[in-house]
Amino acid sequence: MAKIELINVTKRFGKLTALKNVNLEIEDKEFFVLFGPAGAGKTTILNNIAGIQIPDEGVIKINGEIVNQIDPANRNVAMVFENYALYPNRTVYDNIASPLRSPKHKKDENYIKGAVTKAAALMKIDMLLDRLPSQLSNGQRQRVALGRALVRDPNVFLMDEPLAHLDAKLRNLMRGELKEMQHNFATTSIYVTHDFMEAMSLADRIAIIDEGEIIQVGISEEIYYMPKNQFVAQLMGDPEINLLSCDLVENGTGFTCLWAAAPDNPIQLPEDEELFSRIRTLENKKVNVGIRPQNVHYSFEPVEGAIEGTVYSFETIGNKSVLTAQVKDAHVRIIAPNGLVLKLDQPVYITFDISRVIVFDADTHEYIGRYDESEVMKLVNEHRGESFTRAGENHG
Amino acid sequence: MNNPNEINSNSSVLRGINTVPFKTRVRPYLIVAPALLITIGILIPFVMAIYYSLTAYTFRIPNSDFVGFRNWTRMFENPQFWNALKVTITYAFWSTTVEMLLGLGIAMLLGNLKNRFSRIMRVALIFPLMVAPVVGTIIWQLMLRSSVGIIDKLLNLLGIYGAQWGASHQTAMMTVVMIDVWINCPFVIILILAGIQSLPKSPFESAKIDGGSAWFNFRNLTLPMLKPGILIALLFRLMAALQEFSIIFALTKGGPGDTLMSLSVTAYTQGYMYQRFASALPLILVLWFLVNVVANIIVKAWRKAQYQAAGKDIEETHAKREKNASNQIIREGK
Amino acid sequence: MTARKRLTAILQNGGLAIYAVFALFPLLWMFILTFKSDAEMLTTTFVFTPTLVNYQQVFFHSDYLRYIKDSFIVSTGAVLISVLAGVPAAYAFARYNFKKKETIAFQILSFKFAPEILVVLPLYMLYRQMGLYDTYLGLIWVYQLISMPLIIWVVRGYFEDISVEIEHAAQVDGYPWWQIFFKVLLPLIKPGLVSSALLCFIFAWNSFTFPLLLAGIKIEPITVAATKYLAQSTVHYGQMAVAATCSALPSIIFAIAIQKHLVRGLSFGAVKG
Repeated sequence: MAKIELINVTKRFGKLTALKNVNLEIEDKEFFVLFGPAGAGKTTILNNIAGIQIPDEGVIKINGEIVNQIDPANRNVAMVFENYALYPNRTVYDNIASPLRSPKHKKDENYIKGAVTKAAALMKIDMLLDRLPSQLSNGQRQRVALGRALVRDPNVFLMDEPLAHLDAKLRNLMRGELKEMQHNFATTSIYVTHDFMEAMSLADRIAIIDEGEIIQVGISEEIYYMPKNQFVAQLMGDPEINLLSCDLVENGTGFTCLWAAAPDNPIQLPEDEELFSRIRTLENKKVNVGIRPQNVHYSFEPVEGAIEGTVYSFETIGNKSVLTAQVKDAHVRIIAPNGLVLKLDQPVYITFDISRVIVFDADTHEYIGRYDESEVMKLVNEHRGESFTRAGENHG
Repeated sequence: MNNPNEINSNSSVLRGINTVPFKTRVRPYLIVAPALLITIGILIPFVMAIYYSLTAYTFRIPNSDFVGFRNWTRMFENPQFWNALKVTITYAFWSTTVEMLLGLGIAMLLGNLKNRFSRIMRVALIFPLMVAPVVGTIIWQLMLRSSVGIIDKLLNLLGIYGAQWGASHQTAMMTVVMIDVWINCPFVIILILAGIQSLPKSPFESAKIDGGSAWFNFRNLTLPMLKPGILIALLFRLMAALQEFSIIFALTKGGPGDTLMSLSVTAYTQGYMYQRFASALPLILVLWFLVNVVANIIVKAWRKAQYQAAGKDIEETHAKREKNASNQIIREGK
Repeated sequence: MTARKRLTAILQNGGLAIYAVFALFPLLWMFILTFKSDAEMLTTTFVFTPTLVNYQQVFFHSDYLRYIKDSFIVSTGAVLISVLAGVPAAYAFARYNFKKKETIAFQILSFKFAPEILVVLPLYMLYRQMGLYDTYLGLIWVYQLISMPLIIWVVRGYFEDISVEIEHAAQVDGYPWWQIFFKVLLPLIKPGLVSSALLCFIFAWNSFTFPLLLAGIKIEPITVAATKYLAQSTVHYGQMAVAATCSALPSIIFAIAIQKHLVRGLSFGAVKG
C-alpha cells in the first residue's frame, strides 16, 4: 500500500505533449479512477507511475520516495493492461505465476502453487489453469490478467481499462467483483476507464483528464453535481446533459433567462443570492444553462408556460428511453419511459426543473454555480469523509 | 516530508532526475555494435574500390600512383565498356520482363485454382529458386548439350539438329535469359501470390454486384492493390539481374566472343584474370551507380504504392511502430 | 459446371501444367541421370539399367566429401555469426529509437544490393594482404554481406509483431531486460528466427562469386567445385548429376521446411506472407 504523487509531470512523444503539468495525489488504499476520453493521456500516466516511461519533467513519488530513476521491476507495482499482455506461449498457471518467479519477487514453488490457486479461485478461472491464452475467451483472459496482478502484494494496482473488451453483461458482473476485491485487498488502486458508469460506481475519487491536463479531481458526487466546466458535465452522464445557450436579463431583483431557441418564453430564475451575485460579476450575461435529461419534463398536451417543440427522435436504451425534442435548432434530451406511442415531428411541450440547473459561462465554459450549492457541498463532504474512513477501515 | 511547493526545477536534488541513466541510453548502441562492426569491415572494399579506380594498380606492378581519371576516360573510350553496358542492360531487361510477366500470370493461376494440383505446385515450384544458380546452369547445360541432353534429343526428333544454345552468337543471350527465368521466376511468383492471398474480399464482392468484366476487375482492382508486391519483386529482380555473374560465368564465361560480357563478367576478366585491377574497377562502379539509380526510382514508387494500396493500414503500422519504439525508456538525442 | 467454366478450368490447369514441366522436369531429369552409367549415357534416354556407380565414384573416389565439408563449415559459420550479432541488432532496431536508426538500418540493407563483384575485387587484394585469402574466416566474414542484412531485417519484423505490452508486463513482473529477451521474446520468435537462419544457410550454401575469388586451393565449396566438373576433358555426366543433386538437396529440403516464412524471408520483411 502506498501513497502516489505526481508533481508537475510533463511527458512528450516527439511533437505531441501527452501530459501537461499533471499534479495528482492519490491516498493510500484509495480506489482512484482516471476518467477521460480516448487519447487523453490516461495510459501514459499509468505507464509513468509503473516506470515503463520516464517523464520529461516533474517528479513521481511512491510513499514519499522519488522513483523517477527506478525501473519498473523495483517499483513494486502490479499492472493490468488494456490488451491483457498475457504471455502467449505459457499456460494460465504460468502466466499467473510469472511475477512470483522473477528475480525480484522469487518464491518457492509451494508458495507459488498456493498463491496461484488462490488467485485463480478468486477470479473463478481455476479450471482453466492448463490452457493457453489463445484458447480463452476475452473475459477469461481478462481474469487471468487480473489474477497475475493479484498474486502480488504491490504498492499499487494499476488497471488500464480492464473491462473495455468485455460484453455489457460480463462488464457489470466484473465491476461488482472488482469493487468487492478492492475492499478485501486494501491496496491503492488506480483505474483507467472511459465509461462513466464504471467511474461513478467504483471510485473513491475521480480525476477527469483531457488532452494531457487534469481538469478536476473529486468524489463522484462533486464531479456530477459541481462539474468544473461544461466538458466535465458532458462527460459524466448518460444521456448527455443538455446545454441551453441563454442570455440573462436582470429585472428588478432577479434574472430572467432567455433561451436562444425560445425567445418568447422567458424563464424566471428563482432567487438565490449566492448564485446571483456570481452572475452579476460576469461581463456579458451570456451563459450556457445545463440541465440533465432527468430534470426535463414533457407533455404531449399543451401546458401553461411550457416551451413548444417537436419530437426529433425516440430511442430505447434498456429500461428507459431518451426522447429528443427539437426546439428551433436546439435538441433537448429527456428521459422518458419505454413504450411511448408517438410520431416523429409531433408537437411536444417541455418544462425545465429550474432548481436543478448548472450554470456555465458561455465563453469560458467554466462552472459558475447552481442552486442549493451549499446543500450539495454538505453532501459531498459527508461522502468524502465516508470514503476515507472506508479506505482506512480495511484491515488497516 | 517534501512540500510540493518546495520542489522546483532549480533544486539541485532534482537536476537530471528525468535524464535516462547512461547505462540504459547506451544500450541500443551496444546491442547494435557487433553487427555494425562486422558489416563496416566490409565497407572498406567499397572505399578501396573508388581509390584504386583512380590508380594504376596491377598485381604484378603494385603501383599506387594516383593517375586521376585516366582509367575512367580510357574506359569510356573503350568499345568493350559500351558493349558490356549493352549486354548488362539487355540481359537485365529481358530476364526481368519475362520473369515479371510469367510470374504474374502463374501467380494469378495459382491464386484462382483451388485444387490439389495447385496446392502442391505452390510448394514445388520454389525448388528451382533454391538451387544454386551455378548448379542450375550446369543442369541446363546438361539438358541442352548435344548427344546427352534430353532437350537436344527432343529437338532432334523434331528435325532440328545441332542447336548451339550457349555457344552461338544468336542464341547465347536467349539461353542465359531462359536459365535466369527458370531460376528466378518462382521468386516473383511467391511474392505476388502472397499479395493475391492477402487481397481484401469486399472490393471484389461489391464489384461483382456492380457488374464488371474480369479484365476490368483485374486492371482497376487487383493490379493497383498488388502494386507494392509487384514493385518489390521488380526491385529485387532488376537489381540482381543487372549484376548477375554466376549464370553467365558458368555457361560460357562471357562468350562466345563478347556476346555475354556483362559489366560484372568483364570486370572479373579484367581484374582477376588479366590482373588489370585498376581498369576493372571503374566498370563495377558504373554498375553500382546504375543499380543505385534503379533502386532509388523503384523504392520511391513502392513507397507511394504502399500508401495508396493500403492507405490507413500503413499509417496505423507507422504510428504503432512509433508508439512501440518510443515506449522504451530512451530519449531521442537532439 | 458450365461449359465455359470447364474450358477455363482446363486452360488454367493446362497453363499451370506447362509451367510445372518447365520448372520441375530439369530437376527430375538430373535426378534420373544420377543412376545412369557412363556407358549408357549417350545411347539411352529413359529406359536404362539404374546403377549406383556414379554415387560411389563421387563420394568415395573423389574429393567431393571435402567440398561438402567446406560448404558446410562456411555456411554454418556464416549463419552463426549473423544470428549472434544480428538478432540483438534486430531487437534494437525494432524497439529502440536512437539517432540515425533508419539510416543505419538502410545502410545495412543496401549491402545486399551491392554488386558482389564490386566487393570481391578489392577484397581480394585486401584479403591477400591480411592473410585472409583462402581461409574459412575470410569467407565467413564476407558472407555476412548477404546473411546479416537478411537476419536483421526479417527478425526485426518478427520482433515488431510482438506487442510491446508483453515486454512491459514482464518488466512490471520484475524481470530484468536480458531475461525478458531470452525467456519471453526469443521463444516467441523462434519459428521466424529458425526460418530466417535456414534461409541464410541456403543463400550461403548457394554462394558462388565469393568463394570463386576469395578462396582457391585449400577451401572449395561445392558451388565452385561443380564448375570443375564441366571443365574436364572427359565429362562424367552421371557424376556431375550426382554433384548437382547433392548440392541442391539441402536447399530444397530446408525450403520445404520453412515454406510458411519463405515470402517474408526472401523479401527481407518487405512483404508479410
